[in-house]
Amino acid sequence: MKTILQAKNVQKVFGAKGNVYKALEDIDLEIKEGEFIGIMGPSGAGKSTLLNVLSTIDTPSAGDIIINGQQIIGMKEKQLADFRRNQLGFIFQDYNLLDTLTVKENILLPLALSKVPTSEIKKRVEKIARTFGINEILDKYPYHISGGQKQRTAASRAIITNPSLILADEPTGALDSKSATSLLESLSMLNEQNHSTIMMVTHDAYAASFCKRILFIKDGMIDVEIHKLQQTRQEFYQKILDVLASLGGGNI
Amino acid sequence: MTLFRIARKNIRKNFTNYFLYVASMIFSIVIYFTFVSLKYDEAITAATESSQKISSVFNAASVVLIIFVAIFIWYSNSFFTRKRKKEIGLYSLLGVRKKQIGRLLFYENFLMGIIALFIGVLLGSVLSKFFVTILMKVMGYDVIATFAISTNAIINTIIIFILIIAITSIYGYRLIFRFKLIDLFQADKEGEKEPKASFFIAVLALIFIGIGYWLALQNILESEAWRKIGIMVTPLVIILSVILGTYLLFNTLIVYLLKLTKKNKRRFWKGINIISTSQLLYRIKGNARTLTIISILSATTLTAVGASYSLYYNNKGNAELANPNSIMFIQQDEHLANKVNDKILQEEKHQIIYHKTIPTMQIRVDTSSLNNLMGESIQEYTFISTKTFNEMAGLQGRKDRLSLEGNHAAILDAGYYEGLSPEYVGSSLSLHVDSIAEDITFKKLLKYNVLNTKTANITVVIGDDLFSKLEKETALVNMEAYKITNENNAKEINEVIESILPDDASFSSFYNDYSLGMETSGLIIFIGAFLGLVFLAATGSIIYFKQLTEANSDKGRYNILHKIGVNKREVRKSIAKQVFFIFALPLFVGIAHSAVALTALSRLMQTNLLIPVFICIGIYMLIYVIYYFLTVRTYYKIVTK
Repeated sequence: MKTILQAKNVQKVFGAKGNVYKALEDIDLEIKEGEFIGIMGPSGAGKSTLLNVLSTIDTPSAGDIIINGQQIIGMKEKQLADFRRNQLGFIFQDYNLLDTLTVKENILLPLALSKVPTSEIKKRVEKIARTFGINEILDKYPYHISGGQKQRTAASRAIITNPSLILADEPTGALDSKSATSLLESLSMLNEQNHSTIMMVTHDAYAASFCKRILFIKDGMIDVEIHKLQQTRQEFYQKILDVLASLGGGNI
Repeated sequence: MTLFRIARKNIRKNFTNYFLYVASMIFSIVIYFTFVSLKYDEAITAATESSQKISSVFNAASVVLIIFVAIFIWYSNSFFTRKRKKEIGLYSLLGVRKKQIGRLLFYENFLMGIIALFIGVLLGSVLSKFFVTILMKVMGYDVIATFAISTNAIINTIIIFILIIAITSIYGYRLIFRFKLIDLFQADKEGEKEPKASFFIAVLALIFIGIGYWLALQNILESEAWRKIGIMVTPLVIILSVILGTYLLFNTLIVYLLKLTKKNKRRFWKGINIISTSQLLYRIKGNARTLTIISILSATTLTAVGASYSLYYNNKGNAELANPNSIMFIQQDEHLANKVNDKILQEEKHQIIYHKTIPTMQIRVDTSSLNNLMGESIQEYTFISTKTFNEMAGLQGRKDRLSLEGNHAAILDAGYYEGLSPEYVGSSLSLHVDSIAEDITFKKLLKYNVLNTKTANITVVIGDDLFSKLEKETALVNMEAYKITNENNAKEINEVIESILPDDASFSSFYNDYSLGMETSGLIIFIGAFLGLVFLAATGSIIYFKQLTEANSDKGRYNILHKIGVNKREVRKSIAKQVFFIFALPLFVGIAHSAVALTALSRLMQTNLLIPVFICIGIYMLIYVIYYFLTVRTYYKIVTK
């Protein structure tokens, strides 16, 4: 299977002389097409830093990152922006929807920016809105809809460009359990049916149990890696809790 | 006094935050103080004593300035407090009593006000000297080096500003009582709603502006509408209607138009249009009041500056129109005339271009047959022959040549005013000179004179035959006319001639009118430009402040855009587009308003204001453009930080 993301010896150091803090020690990571991978770890372990570095929002201090065959280290600002727009999809904890745009406009924003023809845009928005069950609210503004609907809108925006990699940063962090489940199921379905590659950072074992593979990070290094394989979600959930307990960081 | 100490400490620690507010207060105070100093300046008072009009212009301008300065300080005060709501909320959360917080804010504001007042007066004293120098220069005076700070000006400024500061301080005191704690914390997050726009109100905006424009462009003397509403009330109706229309324009019409452009998906869903258009749509309604104020201020500024500049600009033309000859007087005594001639010949500064002795007749006529609306019906006209006219017109570089037969005549009226002056052409007039009675008919009207209007009267040109016929029955009046070089710098020779000639020689000179015009119009243009510059700086700053506040609340949005892959160039483009709209709209509306006002004005004054007004608009736009680029730059820096 095709490798979507390859990170080699990625390091990230904050601070200057005398007061250096290593957020990422030495990360090696490979994500294959169609994977649904979870990143877990205690607070301060470097989850978000890793996500930011992999998503080109931040630059690593050392190491190589190759996404879909493209070396992203050393890309120019404009190239990076284009790369993010075309190759990556983002889902954030706080949704990051633009409140000046309707749900529909939020979803189609990446396409509009890439100057995709209007007819094509319409077709894609309709299809995705159906997948996420948000046809009814397309013309509403973000402050008129619930958190769950907002997150599904954000997820729709993330996948509308058919990105090679979807990056989710605590996507269920601000959702009630019902909306969270519904979103996670949608992501699972996307992964199963469209073979979308998803990388999700979370500290919630329940959310993580929807993944197929989970990396545990501690102190800037990959500590443990577990696979779901043929286990049921409940079994996998138990296993995650066990690992978290053994890591000692708690599941916070 | 501990509270007072906290307030003082607050200011000292956060001085950068306070800087903008204090700076805008200082700016206002400096401007006001400078202006008031001019008003009380001895040199200027002495120079303008002669003219009651000028001091009333000064007074009116200072009232405008007070109103404006009050608005500006109020505006920066609310800009400042909005930024600090969170801090105030924090005090409250920490258990400081509301009353104490209120007092804290009161002291703080008052203290800053006093500091600003002190610095402002100090700076203003220096600046006023500079402005006095400029003013004397444009008025055509030699600069007098005396400089004294006027205590009157200081007292005036202190009273006005203590009042303004006290009011804003009380407002600050009451702030804490007007809000719930939760509101203070969420001040920045106030959810902006999708703006609504009704088609009906959008049309109403156009109707209001249309009515204002239509009324303004009517001929005041003949308009039915003006007569019905009343000459005094109509200007008020025009102003109110235009202001209301402008507000609705920004509040609704623009929103409506933006919504229409959103409907065109092919344009709207293309690149950054989707971002800039929707951002604008969201912001414009909240900005409607500011944009209205700015449009009206721009319109006022442009009109005032345009009008005063055109006075200055037209001064030379007006002086030339009234004085086609550099020097002219009635020759009563040949001896005196020769003396004058010698003096002019002696003067090295000037060469004589021509010297003519013009035979004229002064005849009193009954002008009731001309339907004269203004003045008495019995008037004294000056009569010259066709030959004299043609000769003088030739010397003065005029193209017109007359040939009049029989009792045909031409009239030279430099002060001709369409609608007010008599309808000369085609009318007849009876002349009674001794025993002769002749009816003359006007065939031609020329809106200039070949004789100076202060020496001669409205002049009638008659055929040479008729002239020599009348000449026998009445005394000829000889007028001396000179054209000299360097005529606008003829102070000395002017004084010499004035001392030689008696009063009833009706001495007139180009220089007299020119310098008087320079004096008045110089002062007016100075006040106009001064106020204009103040308004311009202030409107620019208001937009600048406003945009920066918006930039701060837009930070999050641009961060999102950055994450989903909008590159910096696109961000800059989107900002440039958005800010352009905010700058261009009020400027455009202001120019449109002032264009109408100036068109009306130029019809009223029957002068052509086109060139001076274009120059003013050009300068205004240039400064706006600088503000625009500055704003785009800072905005971009804020959102990409």
